[in-house]
Amino acid sequence: MIRYILQRLFGMIVVMFLVLTIVFVILRVTPGDPAAVMLGPDATAQDIAELRSRLGLDQSLGVQYVYYIGQVLRGDLGQSIFLNIPVTSALLDRAEPTFFLTLFSLVIASVIALPVGIYAAYRRGSFVDQAATTLAMLAASIPSFWLGLILMQFFAVRLNLFPVSGYGGPGSTFLDRMYHLTLPAVALGVVSSALILRFTRASMLDVLGEDYIRTARSKGVIERRVVLKHAFKNALIPILTVLGLTAAVLVSGAVVTETVFGLPGVGNLVVSAVLRRDYPVIQGALLVIAALYVLINFAIDMLYLAVDPRVRY
Amino acid sequence: MRMITALLMGTALTILPSSLFAQEKGGVINVATIGEPPTLDPMASTADLVGIVTQHIFETLYTFDKGWKVTPLLAEALPEISADGKTYTIKLRTGIKFHDNTDMNSEDVVASLNRWTKLASRGKQVAGFIDSITATDPSTVTITLKQPYAPLTSLLAFNNSAAIILPAEKQAEPMTDFIGTGPYMLKERKADQYIQLTRFDGYKSREGAGDGYGGGRHQYLDEIRFVPVPDPNTRVEAAVSGQYDYIDSIPVESYARLQGSSSSEPVMLKPFGYPISVFNTAEGSAKNVEIRRAIRQALNMEDMMAAAFGSTDFYALDGNIYPASFVWSTDAGVAGNYNVADPEAAGAAAKAAGYKGEPIRILTSRQYEFHYKMAQVAAEYLKLAGFTVDLQVVDWATLTQRRADKGLWDIYITHSPFLPEPALIGTLSTSSPGWWDTPERDASVDAFTAEVDPEKRVALWANVQKAIYDDVAFIKIGDFNAVAAKSKKLQGVDPAPWPYFWNASIAK
Repeated sequence: MIRYILQRLFGMIVVMFLVLTIVFVILRVTPGDPAAVMLGPDATAQDIAELRSRLGLDQSLGVQYVYYIGQVLRGDLGQSIFLNIPVTSALLDRAEPTFFLTLFSLVIASVIALPVGIYAAYRRGSFVDQAATTLAMLAASIPSFWLGLILMQFFAVRLNLFPVSGYGGPGSTFLDRMYHLTLPAVALGVVSSALILRFTRASMLDVLGEDYIRTARSKGVIERRVVLKHAFKNALIPILTVLGLTAAVLVSGAVVTETVFGLPGVGNLVVSAVLRRDYPVIQGALLVIAALYVLINFAIDMLYLAVDPRVRY
Repeated sequence: MRMITALLMGTALTILPSSLFAQEKGGVINVATIGEPPTLDPMASTADLVGIVTQHIFETLYTFDKGWKVTPLLAEALPEISADGKTYTIKLRTGIKFHDNTDMNSEDVVASLNRWTKLASRGKQVAGFIDSITATDPSTVTITLKQPYAPLTSLLAFNNSAAIILPAEKQAEPMTDFIGTGPYMLKERKADQYIQLTRFDGYKSREGAGDGYGGGRHQYLDEIRFVPVPDPNTRVEAAVSGQYDYIDSIPVESYARLQGSSSSEPVMLKPFGYPISVFNTAEGSAKNVEIRRAIRQALNMEDMMAAAFGSTDFYALDGNIYPASFVWSTDAGVAGNYNVADPEAAGAAAKAAGYKGEPIRILTSRQYEFHYKMAQVAAEYLKLAGFTVDLQVVDWATLTQRRADKGLWDIYITHSPFLPEPALIGTLSTSSPGWWDTPERDASVDAFTAEVDPEKRVALWANVQKAIYDDVAFIKIGDFNAVAAKSKKLQGVDPAPWPYFWNASIAK
C-alpha cells in the first residue's frame, strides 16, 4: 500500500514536470506578446522592446526555462504580468467561485443522475428508461454555455429572479455570492448529469444481472434493499470514476460558462491570461489544474478501497 | 383655451427644472465594462479601458471640453506659450489634495511629467522635443522645448498613456500606490470581479457645470463600481434585465432590443470612430504605392461598412478622416480615391504596377468582429480584381505582435476613435506598424506639428490628409457609431468615447 502511494507520488511529480515543460514551450512558440497587449494599440516597437526586457522576455528560452523551474522548486509560481500580484494569490482569489460552482454542479448532477439512472436500469425498457436515456442524450449534446444563456434569458432577464452575471459586489455575503452561482451551477449540473446518468444506468444493468442479485432475491430480501444495497454498492466503482472525472473537468474551470456568467473563477482567469499572454498565470494555473487532476484521480483510487474490499494495491 | 393650457405648461416647465431635475447626492452605480483593464496605471497603457476607469482616480493638467478643445483641469488656465512657441508656463491650481491628503505642488507635477516622458508612449513621443521641465515656484511649472511642438497641450490632456499627476514620492514603476487627485479614489480591486471607487471628500472641483471632460466635477455618487462582463451577449442581457446602471460597448444589432427594455435605454455616440486598413509601406507587395492605390481602387467601402455594422443607423460613408462635427474635417485628397469599388480597373492598375500574383496578407482579428467582417468583404473585392489574398485571422495579442514584424503582413485592420488632436493618430508616426515614411509625409506632418496657430493648423492638417491619400498610408473605411446602455434612472451621463461618471447621479 505504502509502496503504491509512493509510486503514485513519483508519477505525479513526473506528470507535473512534463506539464510544466510542455506548457512553457507551447506558450513561447505561440504568437502573441504580453508587452504589446499591456501597452495598448498605440505603443511603439521601442516601448514594447523595453517592456519585454523589463519582464525578462528578451532572454533566451533556455535561460527563461531554468529560471522558471528554479522558481517553481522554491514554491513560487511567479508574478502575474497584468495583475501585478503573485500567481498563487490570483489562483487563491479564484478558488472560491470555482470550488463552489464545481460542488453545486456535482450535487445537482448527482441528484438528477443517480436516482434516475438507478430507476431506469431497474425498469429497463420502460417509458421512464426510454425517456431518461433520450433526455440524457439531449443533455449530453447541449453545450453548457448555451443552456446557461437560455436559463439567463428566462430566469434572469424575463423573471428577474437571478443576476445575469457577476459574483457579488464589495461586501457581498457568502449567501449572496452563492446566489450568483445558481444559474451557472444548474447549467453545468444538468449537462454533467447526462454522462453520470448513462454510466449509472449501464453499471446498474451489469450488476442487476449478476448471480448474487438473483440469490438475494431468492432469499426474499426486499426489492429496495436489493437495488440500493446489493446492486448499487457494487455498481459504484464506474460511477465514482465518472464523478471524479466530472469534478476534475469542472474544477479546472468550466471555462466558457464562467466567461458567459462573468464569474471570476479559475476558468475565467485562464481565458483572460491566454488572451493577454500572461505567461506566469497560464503556467501556474495549468500546473495547479494538472495537480488537481492527478490528486482527484488518486483520491478516487483510494475510494475504491473503501467501496470494494476486493480492491488491493 | 389651448393657448392658456400651452402657456401654463410652458410656465410650469420653466419653473420645474431646478427642483424636479436637480441631481441628488448619494448612491452606488455598477458599470459593466468589456473586461479587466490590463493595468490601473494610465501612463503605462494606451488601452481605452484603462483610461475609462482611471480617469476617475487620476487627473491631468488639461483635458477636453465638449467641443474637444483643450481646457484646464489641474492647471489654473491654458499655458502661456512664448512667442517662439518653445516655452510653456503652466500655472497650477492651489488647494488641490491627493487621495493621501497631501497637497499637490509643482514638484509633484515635475516628477510626474518626468515619469510620463520616460514611461508613457505618448510621453516618449514628446520627450525628444523637451529641453527641460522645471518648477518655477510652488504653483508654476515651465516646460522648455527644443523646437515648437503644437500637440503638447493635447498630449498633456489625453486620458490614456496619460500625463497624470502623482505625488512626487509615489512615482514607482510599476505603480504600487494608486494615489491621484481625482473625484473618486480606489478602494478595492478584485481582478475580474470589480474595481470599487469611492468619493474623495477632499476633492476640489473646478467651478461651474460640467463641460465634456472639463468644467465642474460634482461627485454626486458615493461609489462607482466597474465590473468586467467580457461576453457581449451577456452585457446585452444584463442591460435588458437592468442589472447594471451603465453597460459599455453593446453590439449594434442589439439596439432595437434595448429600446424595448423597461429598465435600460440605449446610448449612441455618433460618430465614435473609424476603421482603417493600414498598409505595410516598408516591405512586401504593398511597399509599391501603385499597388496600394490599386487595392484602394478595388474596395467597396459601402459593402464593408454594411457587413460590419448592418444599418446606416450605425455607420456613415465618409472619406474625410474627421467627420463634419470636427474642426479638422476636410475633403483634401478624397475625391476619386474613396469608395471607388472598381475591381476591374484595379486589376489592370495592379498589373501595370508589376503585380504578379503574390499573396496580399491581410491580418485581422475576431476580437473586434467588425474588423473581421470588413476584412472578409475586402478580400472578396481584391479577389475580383485578381489579387491573391491570404486572410490571416488571429487573436488580438497575436496581431499586435505580428504587425510589428515588417516581413509578416501587407494590410492589417484596426480602428480608432476620433482623437481630438490629429497629431495623436498613431499611424502618422514613422515608427508605427505601417512605417509610413516619405518626403511628403515628413513635410506635411512636421509642418503641422510645429505650427502653434490654431487656424493655420487646420489648413496644415488638410495637407497631411492629402499626403495620406496620395501615399495611401492607410485607407479610411467610414465612420461608425458606438452603442452603450444606461439605466433609465441614471442622470448626467453624456455619450462619450471614454464614458465618465463624476457628474452622474441616480434619480430617486
